[in-house]
Amino acid sequence: MSEAVLEKLKARFGSAVLETHSDFGDDTAVVDASVWKDVARFLREDPSLDFDMPVDLCGVDYPSRTPRMEVVLHLYSVSKRHRVRLKTRVGDEEMDGAEVDSLVAIWPGLDWLEREVYDMSGVRFRGHPDLRRILMYPEFEGHPLQKTYPAERTQPLVPYRTEDEAGVPIQKQPPFGPDEGMPFGRRALPHDGTSAGEAAWSKPGEEN
Amino acid sequence: MATFKLDGKPIPFEPGDTIIRAAHRQGIEIPHYCWHPGLSAPANCRMCLVEIQPKPGQRPLSLDVLQLDPATGEYKTVQKPKLQPACYTAAAEGMEILSDTSAHVTKARHDVQEFLLLNHPVDCPICDQAGECKLQDYWLEHQKTPKRMHDEPVHKPKGVVFGPTIVYDAERCVMCTRCIRFMAEVAKDPVLDMRERGNLNEITVSPGRQLDGHYTFMTEHVCPVGALTTKDFRFKARVWFLRTAASVCQGCATGCNAHLDYDPRYNRAYRYRPRDNEKVNKYWMCDEGMLTYKEAHEARVLDARVRGAATTTSKALDEVRAVFSGVAPESIAVVLSARYSLEDNWALRELGAVLLGSHNVFWTGRPDGYADDILIHKDKNSNTKGVLELAPSARPLQALVDDVRAGRITHVVALGASASVAADGLAAAKLVTIAAHEGPLTASATVVLPATSWAEHSGTYVNAKGMRQIADKALEPQGASAPAWRQVAEVARALGYEPSWTKLKQVRAQLLGTSPEAPASSPSAVGTASAE
Amino acid sequence: MEPLDIELEEGELELPAEPMHLNMGPSHPAMHGTVRIVLELSGETIVKADVQIGYLHRGFEKMCERGTWAQVFPYVDRLNYVSPMLNNVGYALAVEKLCGLAVPERCQWYRMALGELARISDHLTCDGAMAMELGAFTPFLWFIKAREMIWDILEEETGARLTHSFGRIGGMAKPPTPAFKDLCRAALPKILQLVEEGERMLLKNRIFIDRLENVGAISGKDAIALGWTGPSLRATGVAYDVRKAHPYLKYDEVDFDVPVGTRGDTLDRFLVRLGELRQSKRIIEQVLDRMPDEGPVNCDDPRVVLPDKDDVYTTIEGTIRHFKLIMEGAKVPRGEVYSYTEGGNGELGYYLVSDGTGTPYRVRIRPPCFQITGGLHKLLEGRMLSDIVPTFGSLNMIGGECDH
Repeated sequence: MSEAVLEKLKARFGSAVLETHSDFGDDTAVVDASVWKDVARFLREDPSLDFDMPVDLCGVDYPSRTPRMEVVLHLYSVSKRHRVRLKTRVGDEEMDGAEVDSLVAIWPGLDWLEREVYDMSGVRFRGHPDLRRILMYPEFEGHPLQKTYPAERTQPLVPYRTEDEAGVPIQKQPPFGPDEGMPFGRRALPHDGTSAGEAAWSKPGEEN
Repeated sequence: MATFKLDGKPIPFEPGDTIIRAAHRQGIEIPHYCWHPGLSAPANCRMCLVEIQPKPGQRPLSLDVLQLDPATGEYKTVQKPKLQPACYTAAAEGMEILSDTSAHVTKARHDVQEFLLLNHPVDCPICDQAGECKLQDYWLEHQKTPKRMHDEPVHKPKGVVFGPTIVYDAERCVMCTRCIRFMAEVAKDPVLDMRERGNLNEITVSPGRQLDGHYTFMTEHVCPVGALTTKDFRFKARVWFLRTAASVCQGCATGCNAHLDYDPRYNRAYRYRPRDNEKVNKYWMCDEGMLTYKEAHEARVLDARVRGAATTTSKALDEVRAVFSGVAPESIAVVLSARYSLEDNWALRELGAVLLGSHNVFWTGRPDGYADDILIHKDKNSNTKGVLELAPSARPLQALVDDVRAGRITHVVALGASASVAADGLAAAKLVTIAAHEGPLTASATVVLPATSWAEHSGTYVNAKGMRQIADKALEPQGASAPAWRQVAEVARALGYEPSWTKLKQVRAQLLGTSPEAPASSPSAVGTASAE
Repeated sequence: MEPLDIELEEGELELPAEPMHLNMGPSHPAMHGTVRIVLELSGETIVKADVQIGYLHRGFEKMCERGTWAQVFPYVDRLNYVSPMLNNVGYALAVEKLCGLAVPERCQWYRMALGELARISDHLTCDGAMAMELGAFTPFLWFIKAREMIWDILEEETGARLTHSFGRIGGMAKPPTPAFKDLCRAALPKILQLVEEGERMLLKNRIFIDRLENVGAISGKDAIALGWTGPSLRATGVAYDVRKAHPYLKYDEVDFDVPVGTRGDTLDRFLVRLGELRQSKRIIEQVLDRMPDEGPVNCDDPRVVLPDKDDVYTTIEGTIRHFKLIMEGAKVPRGEVYSYTEGGNGELGYYLVSDGTGTPYRVRIRPPCFQITGGLHKLLEGRMLSDIVPTFGSLNMIGGECDH
């Protein structure tokens, strides 16, 4: 890993680059949240950098610091074979102001990754075409990967969604009405009018 | 400030400090077993050896040692610096000391640790010290090598009962003599001593005596390994399941700082450990105090009661409303408790003085008991001074008993169940008690509301020296209990008043404000001693 | 793109007819590992596809923060559960990067061999399942038979067919069994033979080729911008393989090629996997020749590697070492690291943040098929309903990895 990437970043953005390090061989730069999109565009479009592949985007919560949530973006250049880790910090202790620009216009692959960071860590991405939860269900309360979300927390039970909410018609019929499906375990057909037939029809919950 | 250098870092020290004490003040740990900040330094474990660089021009202190030369296979004599024990060597200005950065020191620590483990029994799975054991920690930090000895380790007596509280295991003992020095120097009762010599060394109790007294638990506390264990805590809990809260002992007015260890899975307190506080209890606690953690679970009132029958809190509050409706303020009395926190007592005082308009304030607590000049105070209540500062004109409980007998007081709201005098006389009055424990005042109460014990809510306590100390919340409230200040607010609401507090923050903010008892001209704050 | 769970006005559609909503629900035979695709169809043509994942989300990353570093191995096994050895090795390498540990040579060869076996089993599963979903049940069973041979070897080595939890920080759980090399050498030709039989069945079949060729095509540039890696990316012609571009273990000392496709369609993805399978076989054969038969498999650092059980039961040092590592965890130095290897689906990355204790502060798993599945809707728009099954199958979305 060459440090040239970090040098170019510092030369171009000056004091907006808050920290850099290359521990364990990974070039890392922490930038101010206000220049997040500009730095990303620079990394993408500068021909000597050419970071065309968005590798990963995640959030790391440091509740003892302010701002507490760190948004970490890993980038790779297929042609130049170098990598960089770009970080920014957002959000106060109650996660107010945890917003950063969306980079979907630069790398379409960040679409789902930004949704995941929103879902898990609670960071909003301004300008994202469709910012909704991706791994958790829509009625989930809270953002699980925040350190203040206790792992033992239970969620309220969610009632069945209406047809409107689900977007598709829901048929709530018990599976396998009397004249459908394989009559597993039936010894006599229930509609032959005999009581043996009635008795042979196993009710839901009973063993065959 | 005079300084010396430790691994190149300047460390300030006070006159008379040893190297290890000066480093300890700065939070730098030099590994040790036998040294303890509250005891004398015997320098027998040799773990704290450090290399002191000779002054320029001075010949270094060194030893001749034999070293195997791998090339020739012969032993040759080389010089190695003589290392000094940091616990015994006084710090001097300009000293240059190498601790972690010296290869000799690293090897010395490795070798000392290896010797200490040579005859040590493989007891970790059954030893209570596992998880907080210096042998384990230092093996990983300083030794890291497996056992080289293939002989049978020395066997010694295990499970020797030293007294009513302590059990000794001689195989685990590293002969640091902390227990001996503690009993001699701090407890002023030199009942322990060492017997035999060499690798047959053991700690022994003086013939004809037992390890008894009021400070025996501290021998277990200072023991760096699992040699001394308390009968109370043995085999009860594994320490990695326990969480710690910074608490204050409720046994007497000394207010020793303590760590309350509890298991959050079962919501049980398992033990106390002393917390260092130079100004209050230094490093120690007494046995009675160490056992008061049990009060979080024993003789607890966990449900509301009406005339002795358990019921829900809301029904009990209805009963309070029924009993107190239409009663004149002059016949209502409020009893504060020296065993409850400032927040609880303040809330009850507010109820009585401000909301109900009654000026009949009394206070009570446990009666006096044993005292000594080491730690134990005769006043067995943790917050007497706090209560008397909150309500200087509060009268003792005996006066209330007289008033009730005379018919002047007919309704009483009391905090806590302890009574300093016989309280049967209160049976004539209608008594509402908000208490965490059973006692004389809950036995004869009309309505009892369950309060949380000191371990279940954050509270401030003022000790005999006037210092305010906060005991943090450890356990979750058990049963139907709630902090007493909140129960008082419920009582206030039941009687038709709107209390000025709903959250702890508000109680604490108002606690530091004006007191209606104090005249307008005098300073307002309750107790001006340092807050802990 | 917005979700389809909303009312659409009639005037918003091109056609005067109402849109047809079809729910390929999470419980569906072709939805690998529970994925829901909510489709808006115009006749048979897909107008919009909303791919909804998360049904297999088990909260691994949160659970990793509640154990020790070594307790993460069972979790990473269950990511790409058809090639769990690759996940184990990737995580072990990530922690070793943070600790600055180097494993012995024998371990490096062993990890490569087990990893490539896992890769073969992954590709067999993917291609076999693709064939089955198009109706060709027999080649699927042949490929599964070949996979069983691999799983027999892995069961002999690790004790489990699927979720081995065999990797450890600083080495492996056990050294290779004496029969390992013979088992592999005996099984590999048989596996290849079964693969060839399957290919003969499929690759000259008009229906099979027509269902796959030019279906779900994507250009290399688009794939890179979407973050695709692995066989799905290589099918578009971009020859990015982590083993060649950034070699780890001993991949720079073995000969192998990287098969690439040309059109980036489903057929290319199918063929690239078959090609990689053969290259994996090549790698394994070279590894078996070069792996030493003796020597330690674990590095001997007492701060991360567990001691022998004899020592644990008889010496105090062994007991203490075991105690510290199990109860408190290996104390990994402070810092953050991103470590990546070639998993079954592409670049499998681990971003680890350590606060110096035995409990991880943050374990972020970069799942290759998360990005790939994120691009699925682009492949499907404009295609027909029946193209979903082969396209989705060719992406090899493994629910455990995508949803972690």
